[in-house]
Amino acid sequence: MSVLGECLIAFIFGSCVGVLVQRSRFCNAAALRDAMLFKSFRNTKALLVAMMILTVGFTAFMSIGQGHPMHFDVGMNQMIGLFIFGIGMVLAGACTVSTWVKAGEGNVGAMWALLFTFIGMFLFSLMWSVNYWPPAPGSMTGKPNFEALQFGFSNAATLQAKFKIPALGFGLIQVGVLYAIYRAIIKKENKHKIPAASAGQ
Amino acid sequence: MNFFNKTLDPVVALVAIAVLDVFLFVVVGAWTVGGGETMMTGLAAKAVLGDALEKIPFWHLVFPPTWGYWKIYISFGMVFGAFVSAIISKEFYLRIPKRLSEWVMITIGGLLMGVGIRLAFVCNVSTFFGLTPQMNMGGYLAITGIIAGAWVGSLVYKRILEG
Repeated sequence: MSVLGECLIAFIFGSCVGVLVQRSRFCNAAALRDAMLFKSFRNTKALLVAMMILTVGFTAFMSIGQGHPMHFDVGMNQMIGLFIFGIGMVLAGACTVSTWVKAGEGNVGAMWALLFTFIGMFLFSLMWSVNYWPPAPGSMTGKPNFEALQFGFSNAATLQAKFKIPALGFGLIQVGVLYAIYRAIIKKENKHKIPAASAGQ
Repeated sequence: MNFFNKTLDPVVALVAIAVLDVFLFVVVGAWTVGGGETMMTGLAAKAVLGDALEKIPFWHLVFPPTWGYWKIYISFGMVFGAFVSAIISKEFYLRIPKRLSEWVMITIGGLLMGVGIRLAFVCNVSTFFGLTPQMNMGGYLAITGIIAGAWVGSLVYKRILEG
């Protein structure tokens, strides 16, 4: 596909997401923060349902060698980076999606958060240019490199190649785990619901 | 239009987004935001610094700035879609944080998000809507990190709320 075609599809996809998120008030930061602080799971349930659909969809296409899976070595930088990100998103009150969506609604705070996200990225680029960690994608080998705290690369397709079981099979196991978490949330919500009869008394 | 008159159930919205994301995965790659934001940072830095940006290795070894990077346009699309939706539903108006503490939290939060995304090579969207559904090991590492980070962030947030 041409670069123009890719950019056009990305823009159309983003526009649909913008409308859907604006209308639903979905926020990834709220999905985690509200569950932890207020025991409110409105966004968490939506996130889990999306992950179940995506797991089936992605692993089904990966089973037949289709799709464009992300391909880079992973390591401790994912855990540390998202730990820092997690603190930041709760403090900013928005995730990467909701900052763009709220900015589109005229939220100046979200625009400010975006500006400082860019500044944070630029500051990191200066730090990276001194210590070169984590390794640049160009120097990744797919194999563990424990000195650099890198564990290599693995996904549903590598599992399929190793165990000769379709990637979708592993995907369905993951869906089962996600569904168990979803069910546990529903049960928790039902437990804390006030029965209609006693509520009226 | 009724769609723009009431709040949409987030489960319905996320089901639609997930189906679209599977389509995107087949055509170009899964939904992500952090990569596009990094490229925008590079493009903005190039506009300000010009050729001096070449002296920072990150911007030619990892993210050489280019407008032909499709992930940028997801973000442009999101802000455009949200703007149109907010206008139609009459929800567009300038919202300005009133308290200094809000500005401080947003500033620190934004900086931490930027540093975190670049350190991890992924954002929350890639974690939940890309890596983990692909059963990439990085997704599980990232989820562990973001849950721990959100927990610490929530404790700080709660303390600030309680004054």
